Amino acid sequence: MEDIYQRYKGFTGKKVSLMIFLLVILFAVALIALSQGAASVGFKDSFTALFRGSGLAHAIVWKLRLPRIVMAILVGWGLALAGTVFQAILRNPLASPYTLGIASSAGFGAVMAIVFGAGFSNEYLIAGNAFFFALLSSFLILGIAKLKGSTTETMILAGIAIMFLFSSLSSLFQYMGTMEEVHEIVFWFFGSLSKVGWKELGIASVMILLPIPILLKLSWDFNLLAAGDESALALGVNVKRIRMIGVILASLITAGSICFTGVIGFIGLVSPHITRMIIGGDHWFLLPASALVGTVLVLMADTLGRIVWAPQVIPIGIVTSFIGVPFFFYLLMRRKREYW
Amino acid sequence: MKKYVIRTCASTILFCLLILGEGLIAQANRVESISIKDATGRFVEVRLPVKKLVVLTSDALEVIRALKAEDLVVGVNTGIAKNPLFWPKLKNKPRVGSWREPNYELIVELNPDIVIGYARHPGQDMEKKLAPFDITVIRLDFYKIRTLLKEVEILGRILNREQEAKQLSTWYQKKLDFMQERLRDINNRPDVYIESYSNYHTTGPGSGGHEICDLAGGHNIASNFSIPYPEITPEWVLAKNPHVIIKAVSFSNCYAMIDSSPLKGVRNKIIARPSWDNIRAVQEVKVYVMASDIWTGPRAIIGITYMAKWFYPNLFKDLDPKKLHREYLVRFQGVNYQGVYVYPQFK
Repeated sequence: MEDIYQRYKGFTGKKVSLMIFLLVILFAVALIALSQGAASVGFKDSFTALFRGSGLAHAIVWKLRLPRIVMAILVGWGLALAGTVFQAILRNPLASPYTLGIASSAGFGAVMAIVFGAGFSNEYLIAGNAFFFALLSSFLILGIAKLKGSTTETMILAGIAIMFLFSSLSSLFQYMGTMEEVHEIVFWFFGSLSKVGWKELGIASVMILLPIPILLKLSWDFNLLAAGDESALALGVNVKRIRMIGVILASLITAGSICFTGVIGFIGLVSPHITRMIIGGDHWFLLPASALVGTVLVLMADTLGRIVWAPQVIPIGIVTSFIGVPFFFYLLMRRKREYW
Repeated sequence: MKKYVIRTCASTILFCLLILGEGLIAQANRVESISIKDATGRFVEVRLPVKKLVVLTSDALEVIRALKAEDLVVGVNTGIAKNPLFWPKLKNKPRVGSWREPNYELIVELNPDIVIGYARHPGQDMEKKLAPFDITVIRLDFYKIRTLLKEVEILGRILNREQEAKQLSTWYQKKLDFMQERLRDINNRPDVYIESYSNYHTTGPGSGGHEICDLAGGHNIASNFSIPYPEITPEWVLAKNPHVIIKAVSFSNCYAMIDSSPLKGVRNKIIARPSWDNIRAVQEVKVYVMASDIWTGPRAIIGITYMAKWFYPNLFKDLDPKKLHREYLVRFQGVNYQGVYVYPQFK
């Protein structure tokens, strides 16, 4: 008995130390990100400007670099967290924040705002519309699930159908658009953190951070869902309710993450897998650890995207895959057995 | 023997007459054709005279109207319906689809002699689809100022409007030369940040924005970039500290606009960007917004004139971009001057 307890403590210790390790990495990457930029505000200056002073260095650090870093962290956190929740409630390793057609419907919202937005880019109109459509698609799924029973297959199939519907609608709008509008639409689908300031951060953080306590509270139910709907039901989990709450919260987080930044793919799919490979499937740890992996990946991707080809920026949506895929493959090859 | 000689002579004469006759018939039926080099660099054989045109780009339509060949147009792109005031005579012409993907059946039904599209849009399938119907595809851009005049001349030859083409290009060249002449001795060009339609995307070499800024005597701070529309960070603009900021906006109906507040709104947002109050252009209120109508395309000369005056207000004191625009619209387009194209406007 003592032995099992010790082993459990060991496992928990491993999980906690991973999170501490991730926090340290995140802090280190954030420091690098803070000291990198086109202006000649280096490591020491940016650090000094962070704590005191006014003037240009202070303005650059506080108004330009810091909001970008915080947004990268928030977006990474949100997408990874939403991905973990979607994979848990849909019991599917291919699920991601975009599985239920959320990205394509948010994209359609943005496209609509770009084409009908009086011809010039109004970022709040675009973000608002993207957010509205992201939630709309998840409510559509929930509606279908309510009518036909919320099995994972129904939801995923409905999600795929919605994805195709909104992709087609976006294509239709692009087809009708002028050359300038098509340009802007393409850029939105690349994703970008250049547009964010503190105001946008405030709105996004509410949507991304508020659902966290509820999700953590549900983490045990998510664990039981992994055993299958029947087993979870037998153990007293209200599967339907958990699935509904999960979809609503994860959609809210996804919408909050992408409405200001555009589509940033892959993070939501890969972060939960990376984390699960290292610390296993206990959602109490998996949720925050996976979110931390997401933050590190997005911040790293954005910083690299800013540095590699400076002063030209490689859009974040492109870099995330460049970073995430090799790392994911590495972990996949190292695994001796199947883990899902 | 004599008989044989006469027979031989007669048949030879008959043979010669036959050949001559055939030659004469061929001569009579011969259709004149010219070979032109279009925007893709390939040679296209065009049979003359061209009597019916389908035009997929509004840039080409504008040049066609300037060449007084509007009556030859039998089909237009769907986009011009958004701007009926600017196209009073063409707004009701049959529409054949978008500039990127026209409807070939509609084109075939209109049975034009030639179809004019951009160099890269629609794709090469257009030639394949229309060739069996004997419809020639000509690709001319008319949005790159460095090739614009050459393309105007080509179109003049195709449409038998060489005189009109000459008038347009002479007028154009004269305006360009005038500015280049004045800018010749300028050494310190102002640093300019040009923002394309999408926020925080600038215009590098290969883009229209870079080209017109250069011709107007500005130094594009992204001139050493390697792609035409790269994303940049706001911090980079701050670090470059440009003298002037120019933002491109795209409205479908600038010609019909009376109120300049949408352009003003765009400008105010740029001025209010975090930390941008540290940029010289913002401090000196040299932030300008320009509509796509005069940015690229046949009217780029108007955009260049505005830019030159923004860059060198004293040097070009006598230059009146609005007057120039009016002259172009009335003289070459046959429409009145109206609309909102820049903000702030000159008093």
